[in-house]
Amino acid sequence: MNKRIVYTNDDGTVSVIVLANECGLTVEQIADKDVPAGKEYHIVDAADIPTDRTFRDAWTWE
Amino acid sequence: MSTIINADTSNGLKLTSDTSGEIKLQSAGADIATVNSSGITMASGKTLPATSLTTASGSAPSYSARAWVNFNGSGTVAIRDSENVSSITDNGTGNYTMNFTTAMSDANYCAVFGSEYTSNSIAGIVCENTGTTRTASALQVRSGNSSSAGAVNLIAIQIAIFS
Repeated sequence: MNKRIVYTNDDGTVSVIVLANECGLTVEQIADKDVPAGKEYHIVDAADIPTDRTFRDAWTWE
Repeated sequence: MSTIINADTSNGLKLTSDTSGEIKLQSAGADIATVNSSGITMASGKTLPATSLTTASGSAPSYSARAWVNFNGSGTVAIRDSENVSSITDNGTGNYTMNFTTAMSDANYCAVFGSEYTSNSIAGIVCENTGTTRTASALQVRSGNSSSAGAVNLIAIQIAIFS
């Protein structure tokens, strides 16, 4: 799956969920299960996630 | 010859009997397995689901991993391969959560970690993040290395879960 699930944590940091191929679940099912309850999330293309992690802890999602 | 038990798709159960002492199990006329005095033999391309492990030698029992993952935690974070893992959550620098597809029975499982030894003689370290509470469905880990105190993104992070 070439998708990622993005959500913002309570402290303002961003978490990015990387999906496991062949786990038998859809991206929506993984979001329902692996995103913390009540968090708003976004399903995005993997290409939308930066590859430079130098300032990874400063990432925000807009 | 064999005694044949065939689950025929047109006529239902078809039996062919002889005195060979061997039973052949068929589905739609195709061999599935043969049972004789030596035990059971699966036909070519047919397998039994594994329900237990066989110990190669000795009498101590063997137990298989309930979940495992090998992923790249640097650059484009990506799962190389896994079993019973729905996803990895990238929480920040050297901070990841392994999410199980099917949860463990409780949170008392044993997690085993592996990493890499880089070309400039720095050993990668992966360990459980004790700042978070592990659950039956997920485990948060941190990665670092032997030359610095802070968290570090590692190219090779490997985790296996036993319970």
